[in-house]
Amino acid sequence: MEIIKKENGSALTLELRGRLDTITSPTLEAVINTELDGVQELTIDCSYLEYISSAGLRVLLSAQKKMNEKGSMKVTNVNEMVGEIFEITGFCDILSIE
Amino acid sequence: MNDPNNQNTITIPLSGRIDSNNASSEEERIRSLIGPSAPKGLVLDAEKLDYISSAGLRILLRLRKECSDLRMVNVSSDVYEILEMTGFTEMIGVEKAFRRISVENCEIIGEGFNAAVYRIDSDTVVKVYKHGEGLEEIKRERETARLALILGVPTAISYDVVKVGNSFGSVFELLNARSFSKIIAEEPERMSWCVKEYVDMLHVIHAISVPEGKLPPVKEEAIGDVQRMKHLLDPEHAEKLMHLVNAVADTDNMLHGDYHTQNIVLADGEVLLIDMDTLCVGHPVFELARIYRAYVGFSEYDPAIVLKFQGFDADTAKEFWQRSLRAYLNTDDEAFIAEVEAKARCIAYSDMIDWRIRHMGLDTDEDRATVELWKKELCELLDGLTELDFDAGAVLSGGQDANALEVEAERNSLEKVMDFVSERLVAAGFPPKLVMRFSIAVEEIFVNIADYAYPNGSGTVKVRTRFENESAKVVFIDSGIRYDPLAKPDPDLDLPASERRVGGLGIFMTKKLADDISYEYRDGKNILTLELKLPAGGEPK
Repeated sequence: MEIIKKENGSALTLELRGRLDTITSPTLEAVINTELDGVQELTIDCSYLEYISSAGLRVLLSAQKKMNEKGSMKVTNVNEMVGEIFEITGFCDILSIE
Repeated sequence: MNDPNNQNTITIPLSGRIDSNNASSEEERIRSLIGPSAPKGLVLDAEKLDYISSAGLRILLRLRKECSDLRMVNVSSDVYEILEMTGFTEMIGVEKAFRRISVENCEIIGEGFNAAVYRIDSDTVVKVYKHGEGLEEIKRERETARLALILGVPTAISYDVVKVGNSFGSVFELLNARSFSKIIAEEPERMSWCVKEYVDMLHVIHAISVPEGKLPPVKEEAIGDVQRMKHLLDPEHAEKLMHLVNAVADTDNMLHGDYHTQNIVLADGEVLLIDMDTLCVGHPVFELARIYRAYVGFSEYDPAIVLKFQGFDADTAKEFWQRSLRAYLNTDDEAFIAEVEAKARCIAYSDMIDWRIRHMGLDTDEDRATVELWKKELCELLDGLTELDFDAGAVLSGGQDANALEVEAERNSLEKVMDFVSERLVAAGFPPKLVMRFSIAVEEIFVNIADYAYPNGSGTVKVRTRFENESAKVVFIDSGIRYDPLAKPDPDLDLPASERRVGGLGIFMTKKLADDISYEYRDGKNILTLELKLPAGGEPK
């Protein structure tokens, strides 16, 4: 998986490309743990995200918890497959998905 | 002394000594018995002949010029030696006299339909043919045994042919030989060992590819069975049976043809086959059919039958069959085992119905009830089958099974597992969307096993794929701690993010993504099966 970071003041966009699974989610987790200082608006851009498993969901959940304390987070451009996973796991209710 | 069966062959007995003293009078005697015109066949019975000198041999040379077919039979060892030294065994047909032995009061160590094997002394056994088999059959069996031995089957080869009463017998040197049937009957605790040796030997036999024309094709026999018995079935079942048997792949596997535990002996620590007259070539499903027939089929109506033939009871025989089949297929895949069993049974019933009617008729109530029972089973099996063979190559290549992957139960193996499963799903025609949906389920299950199955060390997971009737199954088998992931309660999806925990989410997703999921714990193994169906319309759910 590739993570493309776009910073704009206190807004950070992380564009995820490829698969967010057991193997790759630690990479995203590291970014979430180290690079959210001063970030108030986090956007997870899923335009090129092809696949997500529960390991990926776990990282998204922990990002959401972190952002709840200091700002907001949204998930954008979700494809049908990833959207279905959010749907059946109830993540569509706890994440703000555009 | 004319042979009543053939006016053109004359048999003349020889006796005592034939040397320069009496050679000319002997020749005169022989010629007077032959008469004015030389017969085509002349047989000299040497049973009572003690000695023949060169003067006697010259008579043979002259007779050979006049009779195209001159043979000497019942030749004693001494006379045979003279004939061999002088090259006469190459020029005329010479048949040795057979040693006569008695098997009275000898222990029977194995008994089949065609022959019984007796122990003569501690290192000699003799196989006596029951149905008056002639020398030709014995010679043929010796040749097939030799072929099998050369091709790698541990086979006992007889070193002598003897006369036992009116029958012939083959003599083998086998130290302290005991048949597997005896071992199972007398030492039931050795069943596992017997199953293993029995199946190992069967794998060896089946792995041999038989050169064309060397052995009779088993399928022809099976087709013959069906042709003779199919009139007993309704037309649809008859036609389907014929079609399915015809469609079995013509493989070149060596088959034993009558592979049961009376025909396998343990002699001086070595496991050997002693009955090779049924050797044939073809698909292993035919062999499994005959094994089923011997251990289960024939006894389905009357359980006493197997006790009579094998010396152990029907329950033991059934257990032996089931364990052997499982070991032969070398798999934990229950569905596959059941499928192969159904195929073998289908062939076995058509064979058994034909056999029973030919050997015992259909006259008694018992005959009819037995055949009825087999017919019913056969028709039920036929309804559920679309083919009778299976991928025997994969079974025989053991670990090379293309549909199974065994990996260390750790996260590092995940990619290998995912690639393995998705490659097979794509090859089976599943659209990318379904492949991805199933991949998530596979990941969740595999990671769960990698993380929790072996808390105190390492172990492996076997992943097996299976495709049938528009559905894909992935089976995970591990020997870790007993754990049923489906027993875990589903997570509460209504909680806000701050209270949500991810535990159990993976399994929950899997339940939603797969069309079916099941768990069982058997023989110390966790077996989890995921199923995904190919939607009829081609669109995923």
